[in-house]
Amino acid sequence: MTAPETSSNLASHSGESHGLKDDASIQSQGSEAGLAEPKLNVETGGDWQRLSLISILYFTIRNITNAAQGLVYAIPAVAISFNIWDNLFSLEVLIGVAVLILSTSSSGVISYLMYKFRVHNQHVEIHHGVFQRRYTNLPLWRIQNVKIERPFYYRPFGYALVVLDTAGSGKEEAKIVAVPEAYAEALKKQVLYEKAQYDEDELEEPNGVNLSNGPGSSLPLRDTGVRAPDYTHANEEVLNRRSVKDIIIHGITNNRVWIILGVAAPFYDDVFGIVSKWLADKGLQLNQIVGEQTVAWWQFGLYAFVILMMIMALVALLSVGGALFTFYGYTLSRAGDRYIRRSGLLNKLEVSMRASRIQMITAKQDWLDKLLKRVNVYFEQNSTAGQQIQELMSPNKLIVPSVTEYEAFALSQEVMPGCDLRTQHYQTISKRFIRFWLLIAWTAPLLGVFIVGAVTAHVDIMIGAATMFILVALLLTLRWWRWGIAFDTKYVYIRRGRIGVDYQCFEPYKAQQVIIKQSVFMKRKKLATIKFVLASGAVTVPFLPEEYVYQLADRVLFEVESTRRSWM
Amino acid sequence: MTTSSQQETVFSNNQLSIDEIPVLKTLTLLPISKKYRALNVFSIGMVALVLTGIATGLRFQRFWSLPENLVLAYPYVVAGVVAIGGVWALYHFFADVRIFYAIREQDISKQSGLIFRKLSCQPILRVQHVEVNRGPLDRWAGLASLQVFSAGGEMHTFEIPGLSLERAEQLREFILAHKDIGAR
Repeated sequence: MTAPETSSNLASHSGESHGLKDDASIQSQGSEAGLAEPKLNVETGGDWQRLSLISILYFTIRNITNAAQGLVYAIPAVAISFNIWDNLFSLEVLIGVAVLILSTSSSGVISYLMYKFRVHNQHVEIHHGVFQRRYTNLPLWRIQNVKIERPFYYRPFGYALVVLDTAGSGKEEAKIVAVPEAYAEALKKQVLYEKAQYDEDELEEPNGVNLSNGPGSSLPLRDTGVRAPDYTHANEEVLNRRSVKDIIIHGITNNRVWIILGVAAPFYDDVFGIVSKWLADKGLQLNQIVGEQTVAWWQFGLYAFVILMMIMALVALLSVGGALFTFYGYTLSRAGDRYIRRSGLLNKLEVSMRASRIQMITAKQDWLDKLLKRVNVYFEQNSTAGQQIQELMSPNKLIVPSVTEYEAFALSQEVMPGCDLRTQHYQTISKRFIRFWLLIAWTAPLLGVFIVGAVTAHVDIMIGAATMFILVALLLTLRWWRWGIAFDTKYVYIRRGRIGVDYQCFEPYKAQQVIIKQSVFMKRKKLATIKFVLASGAVTVPFLPEEYVYQLADRVLFEVESTRRSWM
Repeated sequence: MTTSSQQETVFSNNQLSIDEIPVLKTLTLLPISKKYRALNVFSIGMVALVLTGIATGLRFQRFWSLPENLVLAYPYVVAGVVAIGGVWALYHFFADVRIFYAIREQDISKQSGLIFRKLSCQPILRVQHVEVNRGPLDRWAGLASLQVFSAGGEMHTFEIPGLSLERAEQLREFILAHKDIGAR
């Protein structure tokens, strides 16, 4: 196969899929030459590759957002020391703005020039970084997750961004910033295939047939498509789709406001200023209402109520927007032993997760969810500690938003056959849980406040403290009421929550560590706390009967040690 | 079928009654080195001494004059350091002799804590890597701590402190030689 052939092959591929053959894709031919040999070969050979030119756009946007995030903090300082609005078009400001624009846009080009990658000998290698040069080398079989992102400005040109994720740490994430979609898909398939091969080799004795294609082999796999039919998209089965209505429900029941609020954070002060000014213009002055006796209290209450309602409605609206933004067109599908989630309004996001990697199923139902009979289901994978990723985007948690109770049941059955979260007989925790937390955490401060109220003869403070105490006691009681654990020899179930209910379910053999805690007082009452450490995090159930805890711990440990099954 | 020196080459999966499952409660727990407590109490003493030393040095030096308030605060600072150091040392005095560990064929366990007793059990099958850690004081006292890492994350690193160096090395070898290690 010669290079020209392959590049035209490639271009036509991306052209076909989008009915477009743009400048960018034609220009990219040269730089991508040799990238895609027949279909699934992803090796680029020993030569370093440049990205497609479209990546300059990506780099520029990324650098601008990074710079903007840094500059947000500098704005007040600049504004104070130098009154920008008075000299808006003065020379200094114009120069400053010009320098900023020039530097950020040229930084995109520089980032582009400093980035090169190759896929060689089953390794993805990337050189990147402008001031701090970084070299990333990822063996294909080490890659845990492949995410393909399609920012909206890539889509017309048929490009994609490939994010490669390893188990080790969040820092070892590698991004191949702009490759043709077909190549991205091919790379993904190759990685998944490689991974499956490697895992097989690890589990079973290598039987010689697979060996030649095993890790470290320099031969590209030519028969991937034949050998691993499970990984082709043809076999993908859609398990769950979320309609716009579902997503709207999700937006209402779950506060997804932060998706928008986070973006708008720099403008809060302005917004509040504008709002209060607007209110003042309308003749509604808050301090006037509170300060003077011109308005009856019920009128004031009504005002407050109306305003609260308006804010709530606005928040809900924003939240729905946020939910639509992330979950529009949500599908959960299964391809081979993988679950793949695709969603997103502007940026299509794809997260895939191997079924065997799932450590725990969590079904969360808030009080509003309960009313609407909806459940959020999460499949949790090993979490890389200390990594702050937004929950919804996280490859470690696969969320299925606001499914119906029946769908939640079906989904949990799909991932963990025979797991039934609701009908278990849960061992509830001891009532001492309530007493313990009331005594240890709440009594002293609230009693203090109460005494202060009594001494200074402020009845309202006393009443406040007492109400608070009752409220806390009530919440603790609810928590106690919910908290429980069950074990049906195949799965461990945990139920928890206050007003809403969360169910968690995991296979005992996936436990990493078992911890039993017992205070001196608990020992006297024959109670103990059990904690299971899983790769996805720890789960704790406090104040259980001692006997039960030890039995369960023994059973779980036995399950781990006797079955010797892999947790990954 | 050959029976190797290690356990269970022959696969068996007989039904077990509940009584046959190994029980955590009856673990024979081994104490850690007695030096550990002494070392801790000693190092707390040293820290307290150094802090009081600094405060005293500042109080009585003649190079520059301190504000009146700081001079007045001096006895309280010393009292505070001594009190905190005392409570801290007292805790170690009673808690450190209550650290135990136990080894079974398939797992290692540790019990620790004074008022809140904690028994953690780490199956060797799930161990990702092992470290023997020695700080300068540990080296001076001939002690070492064994750290066992699993996929449970940094927060749940299994650590047995205050082991004699030989014992720590021995445990490390035991874990590394375990046939399950690395199988994940």
